[in-house]
Amino acid sequence: MSKSVLGLYSDPNQAADAMDALKGAGFPLGTFDVLTGTPYPEGAFGEHVPQHRLFRFPAFGAIIGFTLAIFLTAATQIAYPLVTGGKPILSLFAMLVILYEMSMLSAVISTVVGIVIESRLPNVNPGIYDNRITEGLIGVVITTDDDKSDTAIDALNSAGAMEIKQA
Amino acid sequence: MASEAIHSGAQADAHSGTHEEAHHELPARVEPDVITSELVASTDSNSTGVRNWMWILGIVTLVGIGVGFAKLLIEWGDQSEWGYTAAMVAFLFSVFGGAPLVAIAPTLAKANWVRPVARFAALCSLASIVCTIWMIPLILNLPMLVVDGARRRSIWFEGPDVSPHMWALVSMITLIIAALGLIYAYAIPDFAAMRDHSTGWKQRFGSWMARGWIGTTIQWRTLRLRIGMMGTLYFFTFVFVHFVISTDFAMSLVPGWRDAIFPMYHAISSIQAGLAVTVLGLWAARRYMGMDKYLHLDQFWSIGRLMFAFTLLWGYFFISAFIVYWYGRSGSDKMWIDYLILGPYFWVFILGVLFIWFTPWWWLIWNRVRRSYNGTAIGAGLILFGVFLDRVRLYVAAWAVPEDRIHERFLTEYPSAVLPDVMDLFIMVGALAGCVFIVLAATRVLPILSIWDVQQFNLLYRPVNYMRTKVSLIGKPD
Repeated sequence: MSKSVLGLYSDPNQAADAMDALKGAGFPLGTFDVLTGTPYPEGAFGEHVPQHRLFRFPAFGAIIGFTLAIFLTAATQIAYPLVTGGKPILSLFAMLVILYEMSMLSAVISTVVGIVIESRLPNVNPGIYDNRITEGLIGVVITTDDDKSDTAIDALNSAGAMEIKQA
Repeated sequence: MASEAIHSGAQADAHSGTHEEAHHELPARVEPDVITSELVASTDSNSTGVRNWMWILGIVTLVGIGVGFAKLLIEWGDQSEWGYTAAMVAFLFSVFGGAPLVAIAPTLAKANWVRPVARFAALCSLASIVCTIWMIPLILNLPMLVVDGARRRSIWFEGPDVSPHMWALVSMITLIIAALGLIYAYAIPDFAAMRDHSTGWKQRFGSWMARGWIGTTIQWRTLRLRIGMMGTLYFFTFVFVHFVISTDFAMSLVPGWRDAIFPMYHAISSIQAGLAVTVLGLWAARRYMGMDKYLHLDQFWSIGRLMFAFTLLWGYFFISAFIVYWYGRSGSDKMWIDYLILGPYFWVFILGVLFIWFTPWWWLIWNRVRRSYNGTAIGAGLILFGVFLDRVRLYVAAWAVPEDRIHERFLTEYPSAVLPDVMDLFIMVGALAGCVFIVLAATRVLPILSIWDVQQFNLLYRPVNYMRTKVSLIGKPD
């Protein structure tokens, strides 16, 4: 059975100390996190910065769009072979704009989809939380097994937690 | 976190009096809980006397819409009667549509000064909803692509007969979607704050809109990405809408008017106007909504410099277009100068140039002006009036051309100046009131300044002593 423990701090340095204490107590990275009401510079608390895969979405979308655009422009020119200005039927310059536009369109759409996925919202089970976090308090939250929760509480208290909540 | 010292503040030593005069007071730090409670409380309709203004603006908006309906019934099909409505839509879209770019570009560049500004600038984009509503009578009165059996000149070479009508609407709706996405991307942490500290329907609404936001590391990280992506999408759409509106609702209605620079001129003056309305909004928020604790000279000074730069850019874009016609000397080139510059709207042009370019140039050129709240606001007011006159000159002139002359190679006889009638005045005031109303209404749901942005401004900023002076030490997260 797992348990969530939240330590609340008024001083960001204490929250950073709590993160260190949890690391020192042997809790693996990724099992604890910091909750803030404003974005602190990444790594300010020594927290684990999870990697996102957002860059894959526009790249994948652009490849799909580019491929579709080649198919569209080539197929229509071959299906309706009109010689324009003495140029070849399959003229790259006539295709460039469509290739660019469809690549960009597909990249943008897939990025929006990617953002929705990577944002991890809606968060249907936000877990333990305190309203005062949006007033400037810093929360350090850890989810661990029942038998290790006392160790976690000790680590959070050692950094000077003003309050501990459990769920 | 890299840090950088920027402007210096009050001086410590006696011999540097002039230096002290040349710089402004450093912003005072505000505790996060005070920021949250004050900004959440600012959404209360009774707290700032906004409710009365909203009633007045709402009534004026409805009267404007009512008059618009009446005008549609009375003057249906008479294109020349809709010039002022077109000018007002173009003006409002230029002003309020350009404002979010003030938030987007500096935010992407991680400028600290923009943080308290971003919310208001983004909220201005809501006015595109009002512009879309007022675009409906214009679309209904815009000539079809095929007039008297022949296709009129437009950018829609092979498109269906209703291409300009359809794409204008589609592009505006896309802009609205992008605007809502941008506002929402910025606002999720503030919805969480409303969930945590508001009451009643605002708390329930905040809870629903926050979608379980608790401020984890990954949520903050993706928030930044989301803002960047939605901002880019808004910018793409913004430029496209300017292209569509400026060509379909102005240029293609005047036979012989061909100008590749005009859409960009339209967009540039829109950014200039967007900066100006942001300054006026911030000025009003400081003066009437008690936001002086959070809005400092830094914001006014920074936007003032941008406004000055875009004012100079207006001159560059105008002369770039003008010089082509000046040297071109073909019939259509002369027509452009004779009709749109020297013709029936000559004085509107002169006044427009004075207010959009010359006066703000020589007003905002002074550091002392740019470093003052009122000075920047006056510059912004001048620019907005100038942009309004510019849109009147271009759109009223374009809509005044009779439909039966649309196939001419270029205009040889110019329609006389069209003056606004009473209905035009009601419509223009109503449309403007509608835009202000929708932005004000949005500030009853979300604070006019973003809570998390203001908190971050304070988080990353420290006034420190540096030798014999004080400077702002600003953390810039990489």
